Formats: sequence, structure tokens, C-alpha cells
Amino acid sequence: MNGNIIGLINYGIAGNIHSIKKAIEKAGGTVKIVNNEEELNSIDKIVIPGVGSFKDAMNELEKDELLEPLKKAIKIKPTLGICLGMQILSTLGFEYGKTQGLDTIKAEVKPILVDAKVPHMGFNTIDVVKSNPLLNGLESEEFYFMHSYEMVNYTDIVSLTDYVGHKFVSSIQKDNIYGVQFHPEKSREAGIKLFQNFIEI
Amino acid sequence: MKTRIIVKLDVKPPYVVKPVHFEGLRKIGLPVDLVKKYYEQGADEVIYIDIVSSLYQREILFDEIEKTANELFIPFGVGGGVKTIEDFSKLFHSGADKVAINTHAVQKNPEIINQAAEIFGSQAVVVNIEAKKWDTYYECYTDCGRIQTGKDVIEWAKEVEQRGAGEIFLQCVDADGRQRGFDIELAKQVVNSVNIPVIVASGAGKLEDIKELIEYAKPSGVAIASLLHYNKYTIKDIKEYLRNNGIEVSK
Repeated sequence: MNGNIIGLINYGIAGNIHSIKKAIEKAGGTVKIVNNEEELNSIDKIVIPGVGSFKDAMNELEKDELLEPLKKAIKIKPTLGICLGMQILSTLGFEYGKTQGLDTIKAEVKPILVDAKVPHMGFNTIDVVKSNPLLNGLESEEFYFMHSYEMVNYTDIVSLTDYVGHKFVSSIQKDNIYGVQFHPEKSREAGIKLFQNFIEI
Repeated sequence: MKTRIIVKLDVKPPYVVKPVHFEGLRKIGLPVDLVKKYYEQGADEVIYIDIVSSLYQREILFDEIEKTANELFIPFGVGGGVKTIEDFSKLFHSGADKVAINTHAVQKNPEIINQAAEIFGSQAVVVNIEAKKWDTYYECYTDCGRIQTGKDVIEWAKEVEQRGAGEIFLQCVDADGRQRGFDIELAKQVVNSVNIPVIVASGAGKLEDIKELIEYAKPSGVAIASLLHYNKYTIKDIKEYLRNNGIEVSK
């Protein structure tokens, strides 16, 4: 087995990398903050955080010259996208206009359309529809959600979540690429366990 | 949807204090110790408001916030003295997941809500409203209930939603710290006037107050301070009580 250094992508002014770093460390992982291509080459796994808008995130990745290197790295290194970090794995995003994503997962990111308060904010359960190493043992846990957009995808879904009768994609997997709509770093011990699972992948 | 039980920390650095009617401060403890306690009790979120930053017109104390965020694996909202996009950014990098703004947005530059929402996403932008009741309407106050703005609370709530705020944190100048129940009419009016989540603070004095508020106004979350700070109840007690009364809360 190779090393197990987790690279946390640091892009833009909006990153909430502080809390994700703490949570991975709590789970027993070693974290390295990735600011450029060279640092991206020196890590074994990738975590893409995200606070902000789809458009802004993609602009920042481009500005930091991380966009193309990240697209390549995702194909060979186990990757976990969190919230917006999952959403930008998609082909297209519709937040503040139409923006091209990393196009790793064939999906689109659209506003949540429900007859209820948006953003969907708070703890909610997940319904694991396909067993997978990331969510192993977490099937009956609650996770913290905080989003106004959802990923629309039909092929790589591993869990769904119900918000007032509306079911949306709460996690995805395609080979070694994972994405969660919720925030494991804000989901108490269940979230720490998820990071432990990711470390062991 | 599960109603969130949120702890409110009114901070006059370095201490968490508990004002009555936003005045007459009592020292409660250090934020870092209190968040540990409430995290272990099962809080869904913590909101930290530096209640003197705007009033004293001094810089936000980022180090204090970072220290508090360190061991907290639940959402952490921070407010008090936020004036610029750079403040938002620095707070997120200090460990905040949401940033609450009041004084600067309502008095000087509401446009900052639009800017912040575009950069950081709506979900991270909270507008803190301090409401004061008059005969026929509620007025927005700032600087910890000291300064009048002339703005109507309901109009302002609608405006901040239009501008891209993702949540409203509603406090009530008349009820805060008194532990005599929430202003449930105010809460209901605000909840019904917007489509974004509303967190209601100010007034929990007994468990029934929380139940009454949730049943009547249906807020997305309830913020509690005195009841917890004076160890009348734990978060576990509150959640158990609500669950037994048919109100959905998280584990």
C-alpha cells in the first residue's frame, strides 16, 4: 500500500478547510493542504471541500491553476467531494448562470424545488441504496445538510435523502470517486466515522 | 423536518455573558469550555455573537473564534462586527460555517448580503435581526438592542431573503434574557413571510415555552441560552421532552 496522506484542496476565499482538516485528523488521518499542482502530486487521496457557489468555485480553481491538474488527479487518486465539492464533480452547474464543472460524474446541479424552506438546513437521515465502503456502518446515522442546490444524477447514486417528501441525491460513488451532499465534518461522531472509512479505502 | 436545537453564546470577549434585555451582563464562562459542554450534550449547532464588537467599533477577535471552533464537530455560526467581505472570509477560515450580519447590513450597506451570498453561497449567510415591539409593528434594532433603525422587521426579512441570505436569526429585544417565553407572534410573522429557514431566539424560560414556539410558529430552529447557561436543563433534557411531545428533533 502506498502512503495515506490526504490532500485537502485549498481554493478561493470561501474554503472551510479548517473544520474538515480537524475532523480528518480526529479520524486519525494525515492532512496536507494543497495549494498548487506540485502539492497535488505529493498526496495520496483528495478531499474537495466547498463553501460558496458553483460558479465561484470553478473560477477559483481555474485562477489557482488547479483545474486541469485536479481533473487528472481525480482519475487516479481516491477522492471525496463534500457539499459543493461534490457538486462541482458534475458536468454542469446552474448557480449564478451556467458553469462547466469538473465533469467527472455525468450530472447537473440545480436548485432544490420543494414546497418548504430552502436552504435545506439541519440534521437528516440517509437511505443507502447501494452499499459502499464510505458509508459502511453509517446507514442509520444523521448528517448535517446545508444546501440550496442538488445534484441531479441517475447512475452513480449510493444514498438518497428525503426532504419533506422530495428525494434527492445525498451521496454518489463512481469507482474511487465519492461525493456527499452533507457535511461529515459537521455531523458529530458519525462524520468522523465517515472520514475513518475514507482513510481505509 | 427535525427542528434544530441551537445554543446561543453572547460573547463579550473573553467571556460568554448573559445580558437581560441585552443589558446587565452576567459572566457565564469561557466559550471554549461551554461549546465542549454543549457539544457533548447533543447541541445541533452553536451560534457565537460578539455582542460588543459593533458597539465598540473594534476588530473581530479571530483568535478567540478559532479557539472555540477547534473541537466542535457541528455547525458553528459567528456574528458581531462583520463589515466586509474580507471579514466573512476570515471568519470562515477561522472555523465558522455561517456568518451572521446585522448592524452594517441594516444601517449602511445591505448590498453586502448579495455579495456575500454570491461568493460564499446563501447557506453560509445569516442575517441577525434584533426586533423591538411597538404598537402595531416590529422595528429592527442594532448594536445589541441599543440603536433604532426605522426599518420594519417583516419588510427587512423579505428584503434580506431577496438579497440572498440563507437564514434569519431572529432575536427579540423585549424578551431576551428574561426567560418568560418567546414572542411567538413575532416568530410566526417572520417565519411566514419568508421561504428561508428562521431560527428563533430570546425567551426560553421553561420547556413548555420551546414546545409552544415550535407548535405555533414552526421555526426551523430554536436558539437557547439562559436555560442552558444556568444549568436548568441540558440539551438532552430538551430534546427528550420535545420528542415525548411529538416534535421531531435530531438524536
